[in-house]
Amino acid sequence: MKKLNLVFIAGLTASSVFFTSCSNDDDTTIDPEETGEFSNGVFILNEGNFGSSNASVSFFGDNGVLQNGIFQSVNGESLGDTAQNIFLDEDKAYIVLNGSGKIEVVNRYSFERLGTVSSGLANPRYFITENGKGYVSNWGDPSNPEDDYIAVIDLGNYTVSATIPVVEGPDRLEADNGKIYVAHSGGWNYGNTVSVINASNNSISSTITVHDYPNSLLEENGVLYVLCGGKPAWTGEETTASLYKINTADNSILTSLEFPVGQHPTNLEEEEGNLYFTLDATVFKTEMGTTTLPPNPLFDAASQGVFGIYGFAVENGKIYVGDAGDFVSNGKVFIYSNSGNLLNELSVGFLPNGFASND
Amino acid sequence: MKNLSIFLCVLLGFQLIDAQTDTIQLSEANLSDSHLLRFTETQRKTVLSDSVLQRNGASLSGLLNFNSLVYIKENGAGMVASPSFRGTTASQTAVIWNGININSRFLGQTDFNTVNPLGFDHLVIKPGGGSIAYGSGAIGGSVHLNNQMPFNKNTENEVLFQYGSFQNYGLNIRSRYSNEKISLNLILGRNGSDNDYDIEKLDRKNLNGQFYNQNLSVTAGYKFDSKNLLKFYGNLYDGERHFSLISPNSFKTKYHDYNTRSMIEWNGTYGNFISNLKLVHLGEEYRYYPSLEAVNYEFGKVETQWVKYDLGWRMKNAYLNLILDYNNAQAKGSAIVFAKRQTGSASLLWKQKLTSKLRYEASISQEFSEDYKAPFLYSFGIKWNATKNYEMRFNSSKNFRMPTFNDLYLPGNENLKVKPETSLQAEWGNHIQLADFHLDVLGYYNAVKDFILWVPNGSLWYPENVGEVRIYGLESQLNYTQKFGQHRLEINASYGYTVSRNEESKKQLIYVPFHQSTASVGYSWKRISSYYQFRYNGKVFTDSNNQNELKDYSVSNLGLELGLGKNRNYKIGAQVLNVWDEAYENVLNRAMPGRHYNLYIHLKFK
Repeated sequence: MKKLNLVFIAGLTASSVFFTSCSNDDDTTIDPEETGEFSNGVFILNEGNFGSSNASVSFFGDNGVLQNGIFQSVNGESLGDTAQNIFLDEDKAYIVLNGSGKIEVVNRYSFERLGTVSSGLANPRYFITENGKGYVSNWGDPSNPEDDYIAVIDLGNYTVSATIPVVEGPDRLEADNGKIYVAHSGGWNYGNTVSVINASNNSISSTITVHDYPNSLLEENGVLYVLCGGKPAWTGEETTASLYKINTADNSILTSLEFPVGQHPTNLEEEEGNLYFTLDATVFKTEMGTTTLPPNPLFDAASQGVFGIYGFAVENGKIYVGDAGDFVSNGKVFIYSNSGNLLNELSVGFLPNGFASND
Repeated sequence: MKNLSIFLCVLLGFQLIDAQTDTIQLSEANLSDSHLLRFTETQRKTVLSDSVLQRNGASLSGLLNFNSLVYIKENGAGMVASPSFRGTTASQTAVIWNGININSRFLGQTDFNTVNPLGFDHLVIKPGGGSIAYGSGAIGGSVHLNNQMPFNKNTENEVLFQYGSFQNYGLNIRSRYSNEKISLNLILGRNGSDNDYDIEKLDRKNLNGQFYNQNLSVTAGYKFDSKNLLKFYGNLYDGERHFSLISPNSFKTKYHDYNTRSMIEWNGTYGNFISNLKLVHLGEEYRYYPSLEAVNYEFGKVETQWVKYDLGWRMKNAYLNLILDYNNAQAKGSAIVFAKRQTGSASLLWKQKLTSKLRYEASISQEFSEDYKAPFLYSFGIKWNATKNYEMRFNSSKNFRMPTFNDLYLPGNENLKVKPETSLQAEWGNHIQLADFHLDVLGYYNAVKDFILWVPNGSLWYPENVGEVRIYGLESQLNYTQKFGQHRLEINASYGYTVSRNEESKKQLIYVPFHQSTASVGYSWKRISSYYQFRYNGKVFTDSNNQNELKDYSVSNLGLELGLGKNRNYKIGAQVLNVWDEAYENVLNRAMPGRHYNLYIHLKFK
């Protein structure tokens, strides 16, 4: 309940100095026919300020060229409010706009809009595809724990074809082998479950109980990895964080690695047999098979002036860190090698919160 | 026409606007905020009479937009509106109700779309510091909402009914009775709107922007004898706003404000001593509905009890004033479960007339609080009427703003180490009168230290005293009034230039325009009067790196009024608002209405 207090209080009061947010109608105009396609590089999703409709997408090409505001420059329209998630599948990119309550679907190489899912969503969060259908987590009315659901999207006509009611705060999604895994971070409260949805009949086949606040998850070789952040101290009922490994064959818990009290990690990522996660401004790396948690971080982004990592991804041997700065100016992206050496620094849109590699 | 008016502004060295300096008699007997009378001579103040209030309807933001250089940041018409004076912020702006600071304890500011100016008899706008008399937040300036207490006026009644585009409606009624002993005054208002104006850029209407509010003001006074006067002031504001959608499929939300203010005041005049005791209760309550049907709304509630004692000693050519103040506030809600705060202050104010042309004011004050260490405050001002046509003023003061309840107690974001913001400022004003022209030119400087900013740290935000902001600027105001026969012409123009810079980054604060201007021309002949109001806001930066901006705009209103009846006691009027149909935003992606219309009837009867 309290997590978003600040967000809405700030939004409501338009509190003078900082939250009052900002535009990013970047002047950089790109002619897609001139610059070619967005085929080799990384999309950077810039969330924008809630209620300001200044979300945007940047593209950093393998050729070292950064282009900001590509949705706007290709489609002549602003993207919308509060971009939560970008997901690539086949030749399409799906962008979930939480504040606008819609999903923009574009061609992932030209970024031309193909369609919009514009009804049937309520506070949409994350998107994934499985078996030719789209799945979207929705918080509904965030103060109502009873109305959360997964929307099933018909990818032929971009409409909601079915809804699956779930417990409060469905957030990040993972799909594998006909199953959708839903991490219930808990919305305005704190959740502690992962729902398993059978994609063939859109029903919940199982519910796995984990630690509080499962904030990220991924599946690899029949194992589901779930990072639970735990409740922070200020809630008055702090709980510990934990990294779960779950056997996807029978949903049994293989291991649960507990973090020390007071640590609340997030952003679980995987690449080439390694797991990565973040804690405040530090990045940790460990082997997937590990039975202990890494004692020391790989590197600390504080050296780059990062207060807290806002967006995080590991793609093609590189680590991407999004820094929202003071939240009322253009954000930055720092790109590191997988051993933690700084390679690039980019000035992107407001609140860079996600990345997607387009190869 | 629009271009012509801008051309004229440039020609005059002024960007236009309208600042109505009506001649209202502020007098001790009928005004609770006596400090406004006595200790603000070395600063500028603008009094807006009820006739001006009626022109801009039931919205304080609309009123100040067209009648002052207060910059209003409005999240779309009727939505959250935060004011700022001279490059400061909304929480550095104090709103004073009959002498009492009513800024929200949660937020440290007042939303100007939750105050109905028609609930008051007049408004005073006072730029510049005022923390000694008005406490926290009076850094950039203060807006004073005053109710009057007339005696010996028998009965007076007024009805103002207005109806316009987007189903804007307003019914505001005033009724008074007074004899030599008793004064009873009642003001009632109900205002609302569907607020579904067209947004051209998005090719749709403003959605979910409807609102209504009701306001009740009651004042009553009883004169025991020539020395003792007992007064009661009451005000109740109840308003519900839906928050307009940023996008058609966004989640619909709404917000409810419920504010109560009551005050008992005992005024005694004993020879050269003037004693004034105020007992006040303030209640503020909000409810935020994350969805229209939400059962689990977010809420917050603060109740404040206040005792203020004011003792004045009138001497020949001098006045000494002691103010003692104690208040106790208790908050509860869904975010801040419980918080309380006691504060007290003692102030000593002095003014003296040295010669018929030279006078000065000097004041000191100290506030005491459980939660923070308040700075020692002082103020000094001088006014010199050098010649019949030229007057010079100087004022310098130290002011402060206390950390709000949200700054200190919001769970997960609280920081008990936050100190008050302090501001040291000076202004130099010049007033020149030539024939029927009044010109006022003023320069100011303001250094705000320990600026309270919310900064992210990991996934959480904390308030910190991070910044130092330096502000300097210029304000000028021109007034011209001419009467010939049955014709009356009044022209007002004002222009403001403000640099408000974060000393660390050397960047202009977001949403502070460098240039602002207002102008108005009023012309009346016999029973017909007409007026033209103009506001210009220069470009503002919407990000702290000054890389993104909102473009400048100007908005104008045109009004025509016809007086009927023997004493012109009945008026009908029509207004064209945003007459040039300017498409503008004053907060990013929050479009304001294009051209729209309003009709009103105003009746006065015994």
